[in-house]
Order: sequence, then structure tokens, then C-alpha cells
Amino acid sequence: MARDLLLEVGAEEIPASFIGPALDDLKRVLTERMAEARLKHGDVRVFGTPRRLAVLVRDVADAGEDIVKEVLGPSAKAAFDAQGKPTKAAEKFAEGLKLTVDKLGRSQTAKGEYLSARVEEKGRPAADILQEALHTAVHSVNFRKSMRWADVDVAFARPVQWLVALLGGDVLPVVFGDVKSGRVTYGHRFLAPGAIELKAPADYEAALEKAHVVADIAKRRAQLVEKLASAAKAAGGRLMEDEALVDQVTNLVELPSPVVGTFEERHLDLPPEVLVQEMKSHQRYFSLTDASGKLLPKFIAVSNTPVRDEKLSLRGYERVLRSRLADGRFFFDEDRKTPLADRVEKLGRVVWQGQLGTYLEKVERFRSLAMWLAQQAGRAGEGATIERASTLAKADLVTGMVGEFPELQGVMGREYARAGGEPEPVALAIFEHYLPRGAEDALPTQDAGALIGIADRLDSLCGIFAIGKAPTGAADPFALRRACIAIIRLVLGRGYRFKLSAAVDEALRLLGPKIANVKRKAGEPAPREQVLEFFRGRLKALWGEQHRTDVVEAVLAAGFDDLVAAQKRLEALSLIVGRADFQPLAVAFKRVANIVEKQGKDVKGGSINPQKLVDEPERHLHTAFTQARNTVTGLVQADDFAGALREITGLKPAVDTFFDKVMVMAEDKELRENRIRLLTEIGALFNQVADFSKIQAETSAAA
Amino acid sequence: MYFQDLIFTLQKHWADQGCISPQPYDLEVGAGTMAPYTFLRALGPEPWNVAYVQPTRRPADGRFGENPNRLFQHHQFQVILKPAPKNVQALYLDSLRKVGIDPMAHDLRFVEDDWESPTLGAWGLGWEVWCDGMEVTQFTYFQQCGGFDCKPVSAELTYGLERLCMYLQNVENVFDIEWVKGVKYREVFHPNEVEMSKYALHESDPQMLFALFEAYEKECKRLTERQLPLPAYDYALKCSHTFNLLDARGAISVTERANFIKRVRDNARLCAEGYLQMRERLGYPLLKTPWTVGEQPPVLEGKPASDYWKTVQLNKPVEKKEKAEVARGA
Repeated sequence: MARDLLLEVGAEEIPASFIGPALDDLKRVLTERMAEARLKHGDVRVFGTPRRLAVLVRDVADAGEDIVKEVLGPSAKAAFDAQGKPTKAAEKFAEGLKLTVDKLGRSQTAKGEYLSARVEEKGRPAADILQEALHTAVHSVNFRKSMRWADVDVAFARPVQWLVALLGGDVLPVVFGDVKSGRVTYGHRFLAPGAIELKAPADYEAALEKAHVVADIAKRRAQLVEKLASAAKAAGGRLMEDEALVDQVTNLVELPSPVVGTFEERHLDLPPEVLVQEMKSHQRYFSLTDASGKLLPKFIAVSNTPVRDEKLSLRGYERVLRSRLADGRFFFDEDRKTPLADRVEKLGRVVWQGQLGTYLEKVERFRSLAMWLAQQAGRAGEGATIERASTLAKADLVTGMVGEFPELQGVMGREYARAGGEPEPVALAIFEHYLPRGAEDALPTQDAGALIGIADRLDSLCGIFAIGKAPTGAADPFALRRACIAIIRLVLGRGYRFKLSAAVDEALRLLGPKIANVKRKAGEPAPREQVLEFFRGRLKALWGEQHRTDVVEAVLAAGFDDLVAAQKRLEALSLIVGRADFQPLAVAFKRVANIVEKQGKDVKGGSINPQKLVDEPERHLHTAFTQARNTVTGLVQADDFAGALREITGLKPAVDTFFDKVMVMAEDKELRENRIRLLTEIGALFNQVADFSKIQAETSAAA
Repeated sequence: MYFQDLIFTLQKHWADQGCISPQPYDLEVGAGTMAPYTFLRALGPEPWNVAYVQPTRRPADGRFGENPNRLFQHHQFQVILKPAPKNVQALYLDSLRKVGIDPMAHDLRFVEDDWESPTLGAWGLGWEVWCDGMEVTQFTYFQQCGGFDCKPVSAELTYGLERLCMYLQNVENVFDIEWVKGVKYREVFHPNEVEMSKYALHESDPQMLFALFEAYEKECKRLTERQLPLPAYDYALKCSHTFNLLDARGAISVTERANFIKRVRDNARLCAEGYLQMRERLGYPLLKTPWTVGEQPPVLEGKPASDYWKTVQLNKPVEKKEKAEVARGA
């Protein structure tokens, strides 16, 4: 009869962000072990609160499934001697399986005939399997940081206090550190401090609910969201959306109990970002706004205990916030006494990266680079704003407020620039140069911030690569992947046309003295190539989300120096590759590409001699190509890549006839080379859009 | 509850559990952790259970007695339980009940907090304990001290006495705390705050302090070589405080700062090692006592601390490998 399984690890308060990943580990190891042992089971659920991690498996079979396996022994040749009598090897094999030689069979394998036996492998009893599986599971949870306690040699996020391991009504013996498993769990620390004896795994959730613990994370989150909404409504406001804060608070409590508090209205003249940050980052309070999105002087704190008298605990919540806001006001007032421009010099004492120098040096580099980019991208008119905003871009790093709340970098720069009477576009650019801060974040609304943002990130990218600290595997301490993707999004989003490779060269030139003496490992590509390769990787990933990988490859292979053009080529090509008539086209393109690749290198450069085109099909192809080339050049210049592709695909009949009727590899050297030159030029024309040889032929047509 | 009643209540609570109550260590320290009652005693296999008030000096926090929350010198109530009892959280919550914080009336929470002291080569994991959103205690399980693993693991509880008392007395300014009936914190400590802040932030003599730092550092090294880790540690503490004074005066640049911290840490390490050797020479006398506090769990998995320390190599040949490489390169 199938039984349920419960594992609960009871611990002292586990950090909120550790709970989800730890449950994933427990569930994964447990289900893997059951699968390996062929132990069938039903639904698997996890539960987690600051004080517990649990897995409940329904309907676990009594034992693993039996299977019959074929076991191979010695080869037939080695198993019997000349007289046909079994050898020692054969007897040993039979003995090992507790059989006699005459009960053995024979099996044909690729290597010849072998003695074999069909052996039944019995499934092990569920209790045996699970005892090991539970032991492994609790010992293999990986925490970002873990600790030892007492005399134990094992480590966990925080000390483990109890273990529940139940299979049906029976306790499975498991030991972790100084704790032995049993059937006793505990409810809410203060509301239900006594031991709770569990009769069966299925009672778990209800027993805890009775003991004031909502163990199911999704359920607790939903309760929190609902209670927050009604508390906000009762307070006459709207909850400021913050999913990450909801997730965090869900895992800070076992039973969410929101209370609404207030703060002094006079603080509302602080920048709203400061108020929100003060409430959330230390205190995990939710902010409230009015219907128009303006902050109200109110907050919601979430208590773990529904206290006897809300007013008493609110006194505490409000008091802490009062002193935090007083600090915030102090920083805001103090910071504004020194104009941002006067702080720039101080950046000369803040190290950005040991080898690459201070923030002041970085600012000077990316200011030049941003000016250069503005020239290239035809935004030279923004020069004055870019110059001023670059100079001030990092000055808020040495303000008291950003020292306290690093998350407010850029926001404070904008506010202090405004307070200091800088032009609004400068203030805005200081804030916007940090955008986008993540995959979901908005792009800058103005050119100055966007171009400074590109320059700042390109300087980081080139500098870090040049000193040999490029990201490896998961390690990316300077968040260069994110920086690179941000550059791509900025360039594409705002449609800047410049040569990426030239920008990389310029960035490296500006870094010059810092990276001049860096020794590179033998065989390592130059920083320029590494950075461009890094861009290729990000583009592949980014575009691969929406386009076929081979099409992305084909476009990238034809170059991505002009990112905007590359994206347009990709979009144009993606549109036609899906069409049924593209397949034969691809074949024709490939033939051209193959011949050019194989033979092209033996042919000296030089142009086609039209007089030497003797056969009608090649003369025809040449005429068609010459016409197409003129049109394509114009279309490419006008960014009409769909049109260019149409024109190119129009060459297909001429190309086909050429291949059918003309022998490219003619005996006559001049004739042969002239033909290869023609194909090379056609290949070059195609390559203005993509390297078609990279496009995979679809082997099986879609149904 | 008056300020001193708060101290007495905590003292009594922990004494009742079996802690001894040493008097504050008589040197300048930046945290209760730095007193030898904590830093050195957390090392090695022997039990150690103490609860004491430690006046704590933080020159950079000096605000001339003008800030309602920040002080040049405040008081920590420091509890070390080694090994950490199984019920340490419960014992701690009882102490809060005794000073009048009822968990059914307040939101009490253990919120993740990692503790690290770069000057001591020490770190641990634990929480800040929140009472209605306010931090009232730092709760840490020591993992390393002076670069050595802590085994058994100690629990360290650090109550910020002024902050806790402000909450209990419902006052907004630290100087309004009533020390005893009719006498406020202001009367006792305000002039001290004014003068100490003036000294640390404006009047100290950096040249003299740099010279003292050098001298203290040298003396600490010399004493560790003479196998006198206890006086050596006093000099390590003097180094640390001198560094704090220089730091508050703004006499140490950002780049030099890391180097000064390393110099203090290197000495703290030497003292830790010397202390461990001394306890080993003495045969770990406290292991022979039946001294425990709270519930002690059995050792089911892992080695007992006394066995573990037999495997720790003291007097490690320090950075020999690096030297060999330099030699090869030269």
C-alpha cells in the first residue's frame, strides 16, 4: 500500500533568499534518488518558512520496481575449452550469479558471442531507499553561505533544530549533525511554542496551519498580497508595486500581519526614491501612494506576530523610520551644501579598479569617448550637455546619501545637479547614463545619457578585458555581460550608427597608458578581438531569443560593425528563410559560397574580364549580376535589406543556369580564373546581407 | 527600567544560567568582541560562558554630544556562550522577557546578518534581532577568529544597551535616558562625549599616534615571540584603537587604510596562535570542569572539539611557499 513521505528540516531563522534554492536542492536530490531506485511516487510538494524546509511526497510505492537485466560474462571462446568443458572463467561467472553453467545463455554482441544470464534485480524496500535518499538530500543542500554550530562538522544556513522524517506512520532514522529525526515539529515561535506530534505526513500542512504557520510559500505570499492590498485600501492609499520586496517579506515571516504606520509629512520634500529606499532597504516597509502615484506619509510594515496591541509595536516601527528619515534628511541637506562639481576632484581618491585607476581617470576617459561617439553618431550638437554631464556623472558616489544607499547612485546625482542649478538636460543625463539597470529597465529618453552610458560601459569592458580579467564561466564580478547587453540595447534602441570596432579602438586608445604594460598570455587574442568576440556572443544570445540560431550566425558572419544595419539584415533575412521557395535558393547560394571558399584563394585578385566570358549563360549571369549589384548597393545604403534580398534572390535562375551549363573548373587557366572571380564577386554581393553558407538546410520539411 | 537596572537584569539573567560576570576589560576597545574574554576565549576546545558590560569607543562616531543616536563611547552587553547551547535563542528571548519585552506584544524577529571583523580576522553568521523593526541585539555564531576555525562554535550576543534602554524608556535622545531615578545619561556622560569628540576629531596629534602605532605593533610582535600572548594582545588592542583614532582624524588615506587593517590583523593572528599554544601547554584546564550553560546536544556526527584541536597544526610555517617562489624568480 502506497504511503506518503515527509521530510522537514527545522532550523533557526534561515535567510529569506536561501529558502527557495534550498528547497529546489532538497526536491531535486530526493526525486533523483527515488528515480534511480525505481521507486514510484505521486505528487511532490515543498514547503518553506524561515524556520523550516520541507518536502512532502504523496503515494510512495512500497518498494522499487523489479527489473530483469541481462548480465554478460566471459566470451564464448574463453568460456569453454577444446573439449567443450566450461573453463574456470565460466564457472566463476555462474557461481557469482548463484547459477550453474548449464543455466547460462549466450548473447551476440558487436564484439562476438558472450556467455550471458538474465538476472532479476529486485526493487529495494521503500524504507531502505528513502533512508539513504533523505540522508543524502539533507547533506547536499547548497547555501550561498553556510555555518557550523556546536561540535558538528556539517554545515547549514543556520543551526538545525529538528528533523521530521516520516514514511506513512513510521519514523525513518536520519541523522544530521547533532540532530536525530523524529515525528515532532514546531509551530509559530511565540503563538504555538509547544511540540506537535505528527501522526502521518498528510497531516503536516493542516497541523502547522493550526499552529499559526502558513507553510506553503505561494499560499503565504498570496495571503500577504491580499492583506497588503486591504491594509492599503483601509489607509486610503495604493500599494507601491514591488515584487521583489513581496518575495522577500514572504520568506521573513511564518504568518504575515501587516500594520499601517505614518511618518511626518514634512519629509515628503525628500526625493521619493530616497523615502522609498529608506523604508525598504533597512526596514522592509512597503510604500503607499495616492491615486496619482504621489507618495503618502504612510507605510506598511509586516509583522510575524499578530501582536496584542498594534499601537505599541507601531510606536517602534515609526520610531525607527523617524530616525532613518532624520539621517536621510541630514545627508540630503549636508550633501547639497557642496556643489556636485566640487566633488569631482574627490573622485581622484576613489579607486575604480586597481590597475585601471580612479573614478576621476575613468570619468575623463569616458567623457572623451562619449564626445567621440556623439561625433560619429551625428549627435555632435549634444556636445556641451555630454561634456558637462560626463564630468558630473559619478560625483554623487562621494556624497553621504549614496554612501548610505548605493542604490540611489544617479538619482542623487540628478537631484543634486538640479539643486545646484545645472541645466535640466545635464541633470537628466546624469541619471539616465545608468539606464538600463537590468533586462526589464527602460532606456534613456535623451541622447546625452545614452551616449555617456555607452561610453562608460565600453570603457569598463575594454579596460577589464585588456588587463586579462574577462568574465569566466559564472564569474563576472564587473557585470560585463550586463554592460555589454546594455550597450547593444542602447545602440539599437536609439539607432546610433557608428563602427563598433572603431569605438573599441578609441576606448582602448584612451585606456592606453593603463594597459600598455599588461603582458598577455601566449596565443591569447588582442583585447580588441576579445571584446568584439564578446559582443558577438551577447548578440547571438540576445537575437537567438527571437530568431533562428543559424540565421543569426549567418548575419553575424557577414559582420556586425554597424549594429543597427546588422539587426535590419537579420530581420529581413528572418522573413524570407521561413518561406518555402527559400530552400532551393539556399542551395544555389551555398554552391557559390563553396566554390569561392575552395578555389577562391588560389586565384589572384583582379576584376572580371567581360571579354573572356565566352558562354552565353556566364555572360547572362554577369549582366544580371552587374545590374543587381548596382541596385543592391543603393538599397543597402538606404537600409532596405528586404529589397536587397529580393534583388539577390532574383539572381537564382541565372546562377542555376550557370551551374548547369558552364564548367567552372575549365582547363584553360584564364577562363577558369575569370569564372571564379565572377563567383567571388557574387559571393561578396550576398555577403552584404549575410553569409548564406551558415544557413541550415531543413532536412525534414515541417509537416 | 533605569539604565543600570537594565544592566543588572541582564547580568542576573545570564549569571543564573551559569555565566561568570567579569568586569569590563580595562583597555580601549571598538567592540565587546575585542576584549580577550571574547576574542581569545572563542579559540580552542575549552568551554567559556561569560556576560559582561563593555564600554566601547568608536572615535569616528563622536558627534560632540549633539547627535541623539550616535556616541563616541557606548556600552555593549556582551554574552559569550561556548559551546553555543542548543536552546540559545530561547535563553536569549527569556532575557528580553525579563527586561519587559513580551514577544506577544512586540514583533520579535531574527533577521539575517553576517558579521565580519577584518581587523580581527574573524567572521560569523547570525542575525540582528529586531524588536518592532529596531535592531536590539547582534547575534552571531563565530566561525573563525584570528584565522582559526572556532570549534566548538561560540554564540555571541551583543545588546546595544543605550539603544535598548531608549526603547524601554521611550525617549528619543540617548542623553535623556534615566540612569537612576533623577539622574540622566546627560549628567553622567555628556562632557565626556564633548571632550572625546573634540580630541578624536580635531585635537589628536597624528604624528604622535603614527609613532605609537609603530611602537605598539613592534612590541606586540616581540611579545608573541617571547611566548607572552596575553600582554601581546593588549598591544594589539592598543594598535587597533590608535588606528581608529588616526582614521577618525582623517589621517589615513583610502589606499593606506587596507594596509593598516592588515597590520592589525596580522598581529591579532599571532596573538591567537600564541594563545592556542599556551592553552595546549596548560592542558586545556577548563575542559576538566563541568561548566556548561543551557542544553548541550550530543555529538552524533563530527569530532568532539578536543579531538579536532589535536589535528590543528600550530606554528605553521608561514608563507614559506611564496618565499621559495621569490627565490626562484630572483
